[in-house]
Amino acid sequence: MTKKRKRLGAITKGSLVEGLEMKLDSAQSIEEIKAGKFIVIDGEKNQFFSMITDMRLDSTNPEILLNPPDEENGIMREILSGTNTYATVCLKPMLMVDKTTCPEEKPEIRPVKSIPAHFSGVYEAQDEDVSKIFGDEGLGTKYFNIGTPLDMKSPVCLNLERFVERSNGIFGKSGTGKTFLTRLVLSGLVRNSKAVNLIFDMHNEYGWDARKEGGGSAFVKGLKQLFNEKVAIFTLDPDSTRGREVQPDFTVQIPYNQIEVDDVLPLEEVLNLTSTALESSYLIRSRFEKEWLRTLLDQDSRDLSDFAEEIGADAKSIGALHRKLSRLKDFKFLTKKAPQVDAVQKIMEYIEKGKHIVLEFGRQSSLLCYLLVANILTRRIHHRYIKKTENYLCTKNPSDEPKHLVITIEEAHKFLNPCAAKQTIFGIIAREMRKYYVSLLVVDQRPSGIDDEVLSQLGTRITSQLNDEKDIQAVLTGVSNTAGLRAVLASLDSKQQALILGHAVPMPVVIKSRNYDEDFYRDMIKSSYTGKVVDISRVIARW
Amino acid sequence: MNKSGEVLESSTREVMAECRDKDSIPPLGSLVKIETTPVILAVVYNVFTYCIEPNRRPTAYGLSIEELEEEQPQIFELLKTAFQAVIVGFYQDGVYHQFSPPLPPSLHSFVYPCSEEELKSFTEGKDFLRMIMNLNRGQSDEIIISFVRQAWTAYKRDKLFLIDMGKELSILFKDDYDRLRSIMRRIMK
Ligand SMILES: Nc1ncnc2c1ncn2[C@@H]1O[C@H](COP(=O)(O)OP(=O)(O)O)[C@@H](O)[C@H]1O
Ligand SMILES: [Mg+2]
Repeated sequence: MTKKRKRLGAITKGSLVEGLEMKLDSAQSIEEIKAGKFIVIDGEKNQFFSMITDMRLDSTNPEILLNPPDEENGIMREILSGTNTYATVCLKPMLMVDKTTCPEEKPEIRPVKSIPAHFSGVYEAQDEDVSKIFGDEGLGTKYFNIGTPLDMKSPVCLNLERFVERSNGIFGKSGTGKTFLTRLVLSGLVRNSKAVNLIFDMHNEYGWDARKEGGGSAFVKGLKQLFNEKVAIFTLDPDSTRGREVQPDFTVQIPYNQIEVDDVLPLEEVLNLTSTALESSYLIRSRFEKEWLRTLLDQDSRDLSDFAEEIGADAKSIGALHRKLSRLKDFKFLTKKAPQVDAVQKIMEYIEKGKHIVLEFGRQSSLLCYLLVANILTRRIHHRYIKKTENYLCTKNPSDEPKHLVITIEEAHKFLNPCAAKQTIFGIIAREMRKYYVSLLVVDQRPSGIDDEVLSQLGTRITSQLNDEKDIQAVLTGVSNTAGLRAVLASLDSKQQALILGHAVPMPVVIKSRNYDEDFYRDMIKSSYTGKVVDISRVIARW
Repeated sequence: MNKSGEVLESSTREVMAECRDKDSIPPLGSLVKIETTPVILAVVYNVFTYCIEPNRRPTAYGLSIEELEEEQPQIFELLKTAFQAVIVGFYQDGVYHQFSPPLPPSLHSFVYPCSEEELKSFTEGKDFLRMIMNLNRGQSDEIIISFVRQAWTAYKRDKLFLIDMGKELSILFKDDYDRLRSIMRRIMK
């Protein structure tokens, strides 16, 4: 051990299931102990890497609590502190490392299967512990620095290769830093080429110049500015995109005849459609096939009852359907004629070239528009991916292997609520676990609105502050033994702090997320990956 | 240094010593050392007077001390002051040991007051408090108060010293919070 570790206390009791308790040394101030802090327990044979989950004040004698020392009597308070009154800190051990492995060997890091003996010392973790557990960018492109543990400087790395193996979620209430975290993660995926990204960018925050709250420059760079030709900006609203002095690579237009009834189903909630209205859309579809929607919208509202009669549907529900779907007529990107270049075709071309796509919605930032477009495009893209995967399984030719695609959606609970998740394409993708090389990155402020089954499929969850108990519970769906983590989640700062748990990190950890600033841009812009030379040699020497 | 007294009764637990004159009486709760080998340390827990003639009892004369010394000098020969001190450790090979010495102090050895420096070095350990606590409770609390006040003065009323001492006492008193509070209050007065 290079530097002397700072001791915090000694383990006094606990269990494997419920976690451990330590008595805080009286020299330590309880106010410096934070929930979520990363610490090490030095057992006899193992080191246990753990997280502080909770803490409480205890006393040996209830009488003291009835007659607390007078306020001015600081000496009495100090005498009692650590002897008669003391702080107990609850810890959740996550991983253990055998201390007896010789230094040249790579230590084996295992999930905890035992607990440290009585009075084992508890210490603050050191930088080298963080890299031992979470890897180091110097060790290869699979590691991506996403932030630092509380009160520490050494980076916590996300294992991007594991990250893209599943669908993932980024949660937190509004203003906590979800969009910034998403930009960080996406930057990692783009820079280290671990997957191709398609981002449904509802508020135009990912491609070019996005707003930032608070001090300093009011804008931060988008992915296009950081990665230039690796990223393309597609838009639904070219005027808005150009208005922000961004030259879009492609303008997405969708002809009415590409919209299927299945694309309208997810709009049930936003449009407040009744199920009978939806049924009647099937009737129209069976009669007019691909032109069903245009035919419906072209009807004059006065002639609707005739139209209903003609196809044998209920006039009332046809009326409702017509009235509600007429909102789609406001969308300029919906065209009567097929556009010259099919959007899905174009998207697939870019993906095949490994280019990442940010699809800006411009001023079309209504939920209706977002749901509609994301569903239409994703359904088709997914369809193509199924074909490509099947082809690859047939030929087994490496060049046929589809590129991993990560689709980022915001307001995910609108796509993945228990009702929608059963029928929409996003529910299918979330549940099939990347069987067809497509996975989701869902960004949401109300995880409790997302279907449980989908939540439990999420591989990695990066969660900022949440206040609603239901949301906290939702984020921990499918995670065993969550008592401690719940308290940690509830105590996160309101900005730039997050709990990461799941597949891409060896143990849950609370981080202060990496600053998305000039330094970050510089690191990203380094064209090919080199890392810091010093770091590599240091790391190699250590392993 | 002024002698405090001479040992007249001795055991490994405590000593009784007679004071040479009234100026050499050690204050209650003070740390004294008995010059034997090894040097033994004790804390004064009782100071009293007695008459050396078993058949005589002192009587009241109604005179001032000066007048008495003038007119009845013999009574001062007959009346003696002595003190009892509980042994709290000994000094050997450059260290203070805070447990009973192997042998009692020899009779007629001299007792001296400890200097502030000696008091400070000795109170770096806190285990001696237990030996004071072995006195009966009414006595021990008073002795602890006087002793700690003197030591605290030697430490120039350093807060940290008092906190350390308080912590030790709070462990010794177990759950007796009232006792601890009352003692600490009186020490700090
Ligand atoms: N990693 C970060 N680097 C710099 N600033 C951040 C970071 N995370 C959050 N912030 C600050 O917090 C504000 C809110 O973050 P944002 O991602 O827009 O929240 P959300 O999307 O959850 O509503 C940002 O405008 C920025 O000022
Ligand atoms: Mg946001």
